[in-house]
Amino acid sequence: MASKTATKDIITLRGSAAIVSEFFGKICYSILYNRGVYPEESFARVKKYGLPMLLTQDEGVKSFISNLTSQLSEWLENGKLQRIVLVIMSKATGEVLERWNFSIETDSEVVEKGISREKSDKEIMREIQAIMRQIASSITYLPCLDEPCVFDVLAYTDKDCAVPFTWIESDPKLIANPQMVKLHSFDTKIHKVDTLVSYKNDEWDEP
Amino acid sequence: MESCKLEEPIMLLDPETEFLASKEETGNEWELFKENVRPLKRGRNVRLLNHALKSHSHSQLKNSLLHHRRRLIEAIDEYAGDDPLQPWIECIKWVQEAFPPGGDCSGLVVIYEQCVRTFWHEDRYRDDFRYLKVWLEYAENCLDAEVIYNFLEANKIGVTHAAFYISYALHMEQKNKNRTANEIFNRGLSMKAQPVEKLTAAYKKFLTRSMRQLKATDEDGAENQLPARSFGTVLAKQTRNQAPESSDIFRKKLKPDRAPGSALSIFKDNSSSSLTHHQSEMSKLDLKPWHSLGARAERNKENSAIPSKWTSNKIPHRPGQRIGRPPPGPSIEIFVDEESSEQHKPDNDGEKSSVLQLRPGDDRDIKKETELLKENPLRNFPPSSLPR
Repeated sequence: MASKTATKDIITLRGSAAIVSEFFGKICYSILYNRGVYPEESFARVKKYGLPMLLTQDEGVKSFISNLTSQLSEWLENGKLQRIVLVIMSKATGEVLERWNFSIETDSEVVEKGISREKSDKEIMREIQAIMRQIASSITYLPCLDEPCVFDVLAYTDKDCAVPFTWIESDPKLIANPQMVKLHSFDTKIHKVDTLVSYKNDEWDEP
Repeated sequence: MESCKLEEPIMLLDPETEFLASKEETGNEWELFKENVRPLKRGRNVRLLNHALKSHSHSQLKNSLLHHRRRLIEAIDEYAGDDPLQPWIECIKWVQEAFPPGGDCSGLVVIYEQCVRTFWHEDRYRDDFRYLKVWLEYAENCLDAEVIYNFLEANKIGVTHAAFYISYALHMEQKNKNRTANEIFNRGLSMKAQPVEKLTAAYKKFLTRSMRQLKATDEDGAENQLPARSFGTVLAKQTRNQAPESSDIFRKKLKPDRAPGSALSIFKDNSSSSLTHHQSEMSKLDLKPWHSLGARAERNKENSAIPSKWTSNKIPHRPGQRIGRPPPGPSIEIFVDEESSEQHKPDNDGEKSSVLQLRPGDDRDIKKETELLKENPLRNFPPSSLPR
């Protein structure tokens, strides 16, 4: 049993799964807000992770995301989640414009043996904040999404995972010849999350 | 190339998985220096962006950028194929990416102008979308783009594209000429400009905004309390030459877009505080729309005597702000140091239609020309080509 020092906290598998799935929910909101998938007016300010966050008031989106995060939590606790991707597509054409890619590495020892790890909660918070800030700053290089868009979430799981009935199997919805940018990662010592955003290469001659 | 960790060596990974697995890092200069980056509607290549931002402190990188730019300009001269517009586009795209702050010294405005002037009379590019885009980007950089739109319409350039009407109408909307904007949309629709869906969608949004504007009284706008996220709408509105919404007219508009005025101050280069510059600064900030397009002769004067009525809206000079401002980017310094000492081409002056004028032999020339062009975008065009 690890002893709690002043700077480290105990992280259990369940706790870590909760952190990661909650992170993902908030990231969804942040991306939807920053990329303009939903109108600004539909968001309200809340404080979380030490940064003012914006959550949508749209009930449909809210319940979608909360169902999503509970499913993710379950998969994470079983160590079955490999990657989660938020896809932004053109409403009119269905073309994939952006992919926000979160790949997850799970410490299998923890899953098998049920042990816990140690890491300062504050530090995890800081790492998450850094990612959120990067997302907001990504307008520096991301193409302007000036048409109505919709989003979807793809989960990459282990093959032996049953598909829950609110999910369907899907193709990966990749972007051809994407531009890709790696963002910061965060690590709970049980789950490590790497972030990547990919977007369409610019076409000067696309009207 | 980066090495990838593959579990099964034969398996073909999608590019993202490959990239994620690779050791290759994306530099974070883009985040560190984001204030120096002018967002582009089409997005940026992050590698090139990081490279350009790094050149800030790396003379070798600076040199390689200059060298590349020179080569692209040479490619324009040397091109012998069927599509002479293409090397121009390559050059423009690259300069946009390689000089992230943009600004008067990137030479972009001069390049736009030379490009459009080279091909304006050519039938083959009349409907070419790439060509139209160069015009539209040029327009975004000018103080009053209306002359450009008029010119394009009169010369039937780009009039089959929805983007033309959308840009034109939005510009008029920002000048608070909604009726004109409405007419423009309708012209586009009757021309069946492509893609039609894009045009109709933009028109619908415009109508919604106009309705709201009519209904709006003293709406404080709850959205004003939300942090600015307006990237999409701001860019679509061609912020650079917009009057700040410090006027009541603009405040009534419920658009959640942000401070074009502040965008102005951020992106403005530290040009010398010459009188012309101040005048252009004033006219930029002035809110009164130009009433007479017909006064072309007046506008074509080099030292554009600004009509007296404008002075009634004088906005106080902020000379302190001008002078105290540090240069936004080292690109200014680079040009003067590198290029003027190295190659000074004899035909660097005078020849208007020569691409060689692009060589930034004299950084001051570029800035001066850029300023002149911004005020009078069609100044180098033959008078016979101008509408009316």
